[in-house]
Amino acid sequence: MSEYVLELKSISKSFPGVKALDNVQFNLKSGEIHALVGENGAGKSTFIKIITGVHHQDEGEIYLNGQQVEIRDPNEAQKMGIAAIYQHVTCYPDLSVTENIFMGHEKIKRFSKRILWEEMHSEAKKLLDNLGADIDPRSQMGALSVAQQQIVEIAKALSLNAKIIIMDEPTAALTKKESEELYRITEQLRDNGASIIFISHRLEDMYRLASRVSVLRDGKYIGTWNVNEISKEDLIVAMVGREITQLFPKKEAKIGEELLRIEGLGKTGFFADISFTLHKGEILGLTGLIGAGRSEVCQAIFGIMPYDKGKVYLEGKEVKINNPLDAMKLGIGYLPEDRQKQGLVLQWEISKNITLSTLDKLCNKGWLNASREAEVAKELSEKVNVKANSVFDTVSSLSGGNQQKVIVAKLLNADLKVIILDEPTKGVDVGAKSAIHEIMSDLACQGYGIIMISSEMPEVLGMSDRIIVMREGRITAVFDREDATQEAILEAAMVNRAERELAGVR
Amino acid sequence: MEKRIIAAQKEFNLRKFFFQWEWMLVLILIIINIINASLSPYYLNFKSIIDATMTFLDKAFIVLPMAFVIILGDIDISVASTVALSSVVMAVSYNNLGLPMELAMVICLVVGTLCGLINGLLITKFKELSAVIVTLSTMIIYRGIAYIILEDQASGKFPQWFSYLGWGYVGGIPFILIVFAIFAVIFGLLLHKTTFGRRVYAMGNNITASRFSGVQVDKIKTVIFTLAGFMSGVTALFLTSKMGSTRPNVATGYELDVIAMVVLGGVSTSGGKGRIIGTILSIFVIGLLRYGLGLKNVPAQMLLIIIGLLLVIAVMIPNIKINTGKAHKLHKTKA
Repeated sequence: MSEYVLELKSISKSFPGVKALDNVQFNLKSGEIHALVGENGAGKSTFIKIITGVHHQDEGEIYLNGQQVEIRDPNEAQKMGIAAIYQHVTCYPDLSVTENIFMGHEKIKRFSKRILWEEMHSEAKKLLDNLGADIDPRSQMGALSVAQQQIVEIAKALSLNAKIIIMDEPTAALTKKESEELYRITEQLRDNGASIIFISHRLEDMYRLASRVSVLRDGKYIGTWNVNEISKEDLIVAMVGREITQLFPKKEAKIGEELLRIEGLGKTGFFADISFTLHKGEILGLTGLIGAGRSEVCQAIFGIMPYDKGKVYLEGKEVKINNPLDAMKLGIGYLPEDRQKQGLVLQWEISKNITLSTLDKLCNKGWLNASREAEVAKELSEKVNVKANSVFDTVSSLSGGNQQKVIVAKLLNADLKVIILDEPTKGVDVGAKSAIHEIMSDLACQGYGIIMISSEMPEVLGMSDRIIVMREGRITAVFDREDATQEAILEAAMVNRAERELAGVR
Repeated sequence: MEKRIIAAQKEFNLRKFFFQWEWMLVLILIIINIINASLSPYYLNFKSIIDATMTFLDKAFIVLPMAFVIILGDIDISVASTVALSSVVMAVSYNNLGLPMELAMVICLVVGTLCGLINGLLITKFKELSAVIVTLSTMIIYRGIAYIILEDQASGKFPQWFSYLGWGYVGGIPFILIVFAIFAVIFGLLLHKTTFGRRVYAMGNNITASRFSGVQVDKIKTVIFTLAGFMSGVTALFLTSKMGSTRPNVATGYELDVIAMVVLGGVSTSGGKGRIIGTILSIFVIGLLRYGLGLKNVPAQMLLIIIGLLLVIAVMIPNIKINTGKAHKLHKTKA
């Protein structure tokens, strides 16, 4: 019998346009906790989805206890004893804990098919008791805390006799105390012979729990180390250690007076103590891991999601923004992250999309001026170089990059001072990407203040004049352009500050 | 980088021009008129057709705002109850409270508007409630209030001049048709030529993107439901005038007729698509069909079946249209 319960060899997986995994290997010893780390988009999720049968690999082999297996769908993975627990628990909130645990494999009487409620409740109680959790199996799933729901999910995995348990960022939504509880349960599972793959953005989780760690970067396998043999610094280097080869057409813009000042902005459950300033001509990079609260901060400034603490000053005057219309009237524009859902009316033509947020400029007492609208749309889409034949082409027929340019054109038509760009080059091809970067640079030269939210390290380093790093709803570091390095940014994004100081890391 | 020239003139596309649901409605309308004419020798003259409009135009007033509601992707099923409540309150104000008829008519419109405003506020303030649920509840409540006020009695005895609304002529054309034409033009312009209408379409297609674009979505939604209430009040005026008296159970089932007319008119129930001209054509399709069958004394049950069949067609049509629309688009990109 093989030393490994699970072994993956040269796994590759492509999606249209991207190579998500490239020749990745991984192995899991019996009874170990193995951490899997990497930046946003490193390929961790795809990797997990291959193990759980959601996706099928294009190339490569999977061995379970030394036997080669094909995992074709999640059902098969379940039968092989593989279970996954996610940060956002996928449960039936209106059903009882017992029903959630036994969903799909209820205990029934053989002939009458009657559900054996009593047996199921007592079995559920036993599973939960073994995990040291005081949860009534008859209570409603939705009434439990996230931490308790995760414990129920673990109980569900155990009821399925799972031998390999994958935990995908289980601690992201938990408090310190709840995390400790989860650590204890995870260790107990390990001691009972389960093998665990633990994915976390918190490096302290990893050091606390795991015995080995594997690193993925840009879909490639970087290496596996024993946790006590690798320092945080080396681990971070392994995660980011890429050469920045892409060229960024950043022009030096003259940085002028202060435009926007945020003081102590907070919203319970999302972010707290956010303070920063933005100047004319400045590109401010806002980075951090997904879920760090970057978009939420910007949406609060834009009036989509009201903040409950703090103050916003525009050009020195305090302003109160209640909705996006207020924000745009004051001169703050926002390019949303999900351009298809939040940014565009896909069924519409380019011209209508460009003018939607500025209709009042194109009308006389509410009457639309259609020819003026077409002219404005033409002028703006030529300015940002949208690849289209007519302003009456529907935006759904455009490529991602050109759709993004349409949204930029839409922002340009409003009289803005501050432009917030949320992941402006996400999912656009390389050519359009550099075109968008060029537009950003031009806008900064024209005196706009730009906040750019980005998860892409080269983009953040290449485009920003200053970089703000957020972690779990708070700002953990601010860098000037010259001082910023990939390693320093990632460390600020991933490592708990208190712990960092304890460990004597800079 | 070479700069690309982007056209800003709309090309006239003959094929696209004729590829519109409205032409289909025109065709159906012609067929119905031919059938009606063959059924009754008295049908096919201008005066007869014009007079026929008097029989069905009362509910047509609600069709106009309902088109807005459905373009938003919502629905309002409380309109018939709003008609009943406005009508009953008007009758009681005149007959029991002794208010002048002119004032009672204003009260009728105010009651309708308030009913719509309440719908709009409930829908926008409590986001977890869908428009169907809210208007289903208010449908029952408004009708219930009408019953409490009048207790299954009829209330009539309006002044003589009041019947002019429903039965009067101006220069040989029914007064109701003229008023309807005016409202139709107003609503058509509002939807197709103003920033308000543009925003309504935007919301129907993608409400999140509209919000991110600074469209005051809650405000617009409230205004539209209020308009639906106001127009229900207008319907109450004409309906009461036509009938000469009112009861708490008037206009029962109007909401379904109205929704059927809007959907048959090419307005997609998933929102974002449709035009006022289509809904106007479909008012005449359903109205004249009903009138023609009535001329030939086709039994009422038969009428119901035909209206029901039209409803089925009305629901099916948007899907058919979407499919052909896609095929059309594919064809274009290939070329």
